[in-house]
Amino acid sequence: QRMNLSNGVSGQNRNDASWEDTKRPVKLSTPTRKPQPPKPENAITIAVSSRVLFNMEREQQIYERQGMEEYLKYQLEHESEPFSPGPAFSFVKALEAVNNRLRELYPQSEELFDVVLVTNNHAYVGLRLIHTINHHHLLIERFCMTGGNSPIGYLKAYHTNLYLSADSAKVREALQEGIAAATMFTPEKMKEVSDIQLRVAFDGDAVLFSDESERIFKAHGLDKFFEHEKAHENKPLDHGPLKGFLEVLGKLQRKFFHKGLRMDCPIRTYLVTARSAASSGTRALKTLRSWGLEIDEALFLAGAPKGPMLEKIRPHIFFDDQMFHVEGAAELGTVACHVPYGIAQRLFHSGKYDITTEKLN
Amino acid sequence: MVKMSVDPAKAKDLQICASSNGEKGDSWEETDELQEDRPGLAAAPKQPKPENAVTIAVSTRVLFRTEREQKVFERHGVEEYLRYQIQHENEPFAPGPAFPFVKALEAVNSRLRQLYPQSEELFDIVLVTYNHAHVGIRLINTINHHNLFIERFCMTGGSSPIGYLAAWHTDLYLSADAQKVREALAEGIAVATVFMPEKQTEVSESQLRVAFDGDAVLFSDESERIFKAHGLDKFFEHERQNEDTLLDHGPLKGFLEALGKLQKKFYAKGQRLDCPIRTYLVTARSAASSGLRALKTLRAWGLEIDEALFLAGAPKGPMLEKIRPHIYFDDQMFHVEGAAEMGTIAAHVPYGVAQKRQAGK
Repeated sequence: QRMNLSNGVSGQNRNDASWEDTKRPVKLSTPTRKPQPPKPENAITIAVSSRVLFNMEREQQIYERQGMEEYLKYQLEHESEPFSPGPAFSFVKALEAVNNRLRELYPQSEELFDVVLVTNNHAYVGLRLIHTINHHHLLIERFCMTGGNSPIGYLKAYHTNLYLSADSAKVREALQEGIAAATMFTPEKMKEVSDIQLRVAFDGDAVLFSDESERIFKAHGLDKFFEHEKAHENKPLDHGPLKGFLEVLGKLQRKFFHKGLRMDCPIRTYLVTARSAASSGTRALKTLRSWGLEIDEALFLAGAPKGPMLEKIRPHIFFDDQMFHVEGAAELGTVACHVPYGIAQRLFHSGKYDITTEKLN
Repeated sequence: MVKMSVDPAKAKDLQICASSNGEKGDSWEETDELQEDRPGLAAAPKQPKPENAVTIAVSTRVLFRTEREQKVFERHGVEEYLRYQIQHENEPFAPGPAFPFVKALEAVNSRLRQLYPQSEELFDIVLVTYNHAHVGIRLINTINHHNLFIERFCMTGGSSPIGYLAAWHTDLYLSADAQKVREALAEGIAVATVFMPEKQTEVSESQLRVAFDGDAVLFSDESERIFKAHGLDKFFEHERQNEDTLLDHGPLKGFLEALGKLQKKFYAKGQRLDCPIRTYLVTARSAASSGLRALKTLRAWGLEIDEALFLAGAPKGPMLEKIRPHIYFDDQMFHVEGAAEMGTIAAHVPYGVAQKRQAGK
């Protein structure tokens, strides 16, 4: 149970030593009920910001309207009141469920999910967060309380595989540094999701794949897009920001498949794409295969709305690069995250995108 | 060479806004603008919105012949099955029982587009399958080989597709699996189990022909209950007495309604005699004794039917052989089998009191 305070005393200088400590046999007087956290390089590290893990709207409002001091005072006063769950809460719970299954099958392995709480908050607020975590029986042992500094550097130190935040500026920064990241939004009503099977849904272009095809579509229209995709059917698409995350999910899934649990796997992945199957689906599927990635369910919507499909899937999280789809999903109760990557981020009210100059005309 | 567009240099230029792209409108709306600019370009038909179209969901096992693959799955398990599919990826499947039906739907769509180029009231076909995304490429290759227009896929990788049917606004679901069909029926979706006829009879490529049984298919099974409980005479008495009381609707009433709506679009252009959709009622009812109630019910629903055959118990097989429908719906396996024996593509609707009697079969 160590907290990395922003002055970096404990974690940074004595790296190897600190890991050795955890390996020493534990004295009988300190019973360990909780499993040991894995080493970051072995684990799949998910960094979540406190504002998406918990519902901190009231506190956020106080901070924005009345300033830092009021905010800190409020937090201290309400220290023993746990926060209520936020949009990432059920996702984190599902990660823990997967971890339990993994530990049953592979008790020695460190290939597990590891959740790190990342927050701009001052250490003062730490107590309230710890109370909340214990109240909800979450297993989050790693904290990163940056007291106002950017957490991006720490994300890299933690070998972060996925970073979820409510702050799109931080998400953009993380993407620039090559970390898979997405801005999480709270849906108005959250649909119930499974607590034994983790379900992750991905958009295709500009999320798993690069935005190269989307550029063609926006510059030249649907027909050229289909032509281009058919012509390049056998050429894998370049990878997008969340390819790595799908990859690590696949790695864990294979551990279940090896034990014959394909049909009962506690991780399930979904591709929910606006692509049309016959006209542009082959390139997407072949790309996934060339990466050695499997996806459990593939829905080629050919432009049909994603909201109703996602409502049936009930994923714990859905990644899309276009706010239109993120909002559509959230409207129907899906926890949707925006990946601010690629050509779709430019505001398109009028004008065409010139693919050669990469400017709007 | 396309490079991943999240390089720090470019990314800084991206203006990402915290909320949407600005427009509530679809990226698909932009297609319209782009296409208008280049009228000479032959556009690939745009997919209609699910709520406007008549959505037909077909399973791969009825659209194509997949018996060999089915055997591999049953004998050697899922991993062998997937390997087999990937090995034979470039071999298209042969057409299955629903194939001529789907081809006929596309013929109707072509006629509709000629008459009403802006309308979205078309048939929309969704391929629904338990299959894993791996098999997607073989399916896409097959679809393109046979020149079908199927852009919407729902590959559920082993979980039930029934949940997605409602999200697709499915008007009719055709499957080979009686279990799935029963599930869908329980969800209120028009559905039938399609059987492969023993010999292939040729069906029209330019006119879609759909034949329906009456009781327990278009109508509810209330009259059939009386017949089974009290015999033919009581049945006639009851029908005559209740001549003016409408029958309750059966599972396929909605589909007939959707067909009627499309038919009226042709009638509006003076094409009643040349209409590419033709509907048939093939019922064991006796005309004079029990026909009035059926016809009055149809009229009250505002539904027309092109041809009505009251058989008074005569076998349906020879009639259907003359009609050559692309599909025939009946609630009794006796009739379905009889039809299939003579080369008609028959589909079983497992609804109503007739199912209990067959429970022993």
